[in-house]
Amino acid sequence: MHLTDLLKLSGIAIVIIGLALRLRTTLVVVTAGLVTGLAAGLPLFSSEGIFQTLPFLTKPGQEGIVNMLGRAFTDNRLMTLFIITLPAIGLAERHGLQEQSAALIRRFRAATVGRLQIIYQVFRVLTGILGVRLNGHPSFVRPLIFPMSVGAAEATFGAATADDVPEDVVEEIKAANAASENYGNFYGQNLSPVQPGILLVFGVMAGLGYAVSVWSLVMFAIPITTISVVLGAIQFRLLDRRYRRKAATIR
Amino acid sequence: MMQTTAVSFSSITNALLSLNSVYVLTGLVLWVFAAMTFRDRANKRRNGSGMFWLILGVIFVFGGVIPHWLTGLLVLAMVGIDGTGGVARGHYNESTKEEQASRAARLRDKIFIPVLSIPIVTFGFAIAFRLLKLDVNRGALVGLGFGGVTAMATCLWITRDKTRVMMQEGRRLNDAMGAVNILPQLLASLGVIFTAAKVGDLIASGIYRIIPADSLFLLVLANCLGMALFTIVMGNSFAAFPVIATGVLAPLIIQPFGVRPEMVAIITLTAGSSGTLMTPMAANFNIVPAALLNMRDQYGVIKFQLPFAVTIWSLHVILMWLMIKLV
Repeated sequence: MHLTDLLKLSGIAIVIIGLALRLRTTLVVVTAGLVTGLAAGLPLFSSEGIFQTLPFLTKPGQEGIVNMLGRAFTDNRLMTLFIITLPAIGLAERHGLQEQSAALIRRFRAATVGRLQIIYQVFRVLTGILGVRLNGHPSFVRPLIFPMSVGAAEATFGAATADDVPEDVVEEIKAANAASENYGNFYGQNLSPVQPGILLVFGVMAGLGYAVSVWSLVMFAIPITTISVVLGAIQFRLLDRRYRRKAATIR
Repeated sequence: MMQTTAVSFSSITNALLSLNSVYVLTGLVLWVFAAMTFRDRANKRRNGSGMFWLILGVIFVFGGVIPHWLTGLLVLAMVGIDGTGGVARGHYNESTKEEQASRAARLRDKIFIPVLSIPIVTFGFAIAFRLLKLDVNRGALVGLGFGGVTAMATCLWITRDKTRVMMQEGRRLNDAMGAVNILPQLLASLGVIFTAAKVGDLIASGIYRIIPADSLFLLVLANCLGMALFTIVMGNSFAAFPVIATGVLAPLIIQPFGVRPEMVAIITLTAGSSGTLMTPMAANFNIVPAALLNMRDQYGVIKFQLPFAVTIWSLHVILMWLMIKLV
């Protein structure tokens, strides 16, 4: 392996070491990008406009690292769009969203934390089949699934308010909420031929000279999606069982 | 005359339904947060924090028109502010649990209307875009934007609270996440730089060198492992798939063994999804939700997903091997 190749991989090393040491993530990521780019011999700026006259920072015909950073950051603003939902969620919380969600769930006796996650994961698979992409974490999980899950836990633990549910349980519920969204979204989206995953595979395989049909891609996605739903259900049911035992010891 | 009106009407709806309009709206919300932060005396780093949200707002509102090098420098400035500990939390005039409970007793189930309007509007836009044969992804995102606006309006109407209070509450949630907010965008940029530096080709050639070309099981294992590892590094299975498909799947499995390409291709992609569940580099799926839910451990989501991810990844290897053998 050449020295320049090793230098290029140093970006990955920076990320691993930086995250392991829990350094400030934003700084780690940008440093890794700059180091990798410079190691690969990319210029800092594109050779255009006011940078044309700068001899060391640019190379003709190559996109600069700072330009790439700006372009990708702009193109991916969609990932940070959830900020626009925060004022409404915040105000609803101020007016008792969490308390009312708990009250709602208590009316459904059969609702448990695990069952809610199973239902939500299946719901996300169904939205995947419909070809609908949702930004589930801000639109469903944070405002609805999380308070409902805490409400279900209140019932399991016989707690009067969310504060009486053991703190480690609440933390784990948050993780389970995010996980059921991810499980349902990742594996469910391949059941529709209009979803980006299928289209990506279609495009790449066509580029390699294989004429595949999007429908057969969908067909071959069915086994693993089924496995994902079963595995998720097992994990969430185990969660319920653990909480029942824990609640019994507390009482 | 009629025609020009029709044209301008459709161009107005087009502009309104574009991603740019929801970016501008989000940018305006960020500017309100920034203005409130500058005036928040309880925030020890109010100038740094205010600048951070102000700059992010600028990128949201003007990102489409300012040159990329300038946006790049603005991003570096934001990272500089955060890197020196310049982004902090303040005071938001929060209400106590008792106040929330008493208000809950007043509004009861009505409080769900604004919150439900977020997914309903998102869903509605996504389906409408699908029926109109427009880009479905754009529909969901534009829907999320307008869902947020609809939710703000209905929430103000139902609670009869002040706009200023609502924005303070929004700022409370936003500051609870802090600079983690921009991590997905930064990681996407890192992916672009990795691709330009050809880091992927390097990994594929590494796999090519170490595995024996005659053992189908080992090749399937290497294919799924390479896909998962590369996804863990890039944080994105979509970025990993072209590299692994070109470097490993096609030349080492599909061609020599005469396998149906669609069968192994889709399983390779989801082997990458198993990797996505394990990596902090997929910040928008694993780190941002942890922050959005105020988790104490920022890796809590990943830790919960780890047993699931390892199990389903192993099943990918077995499934792919069995399908090649049996089909």
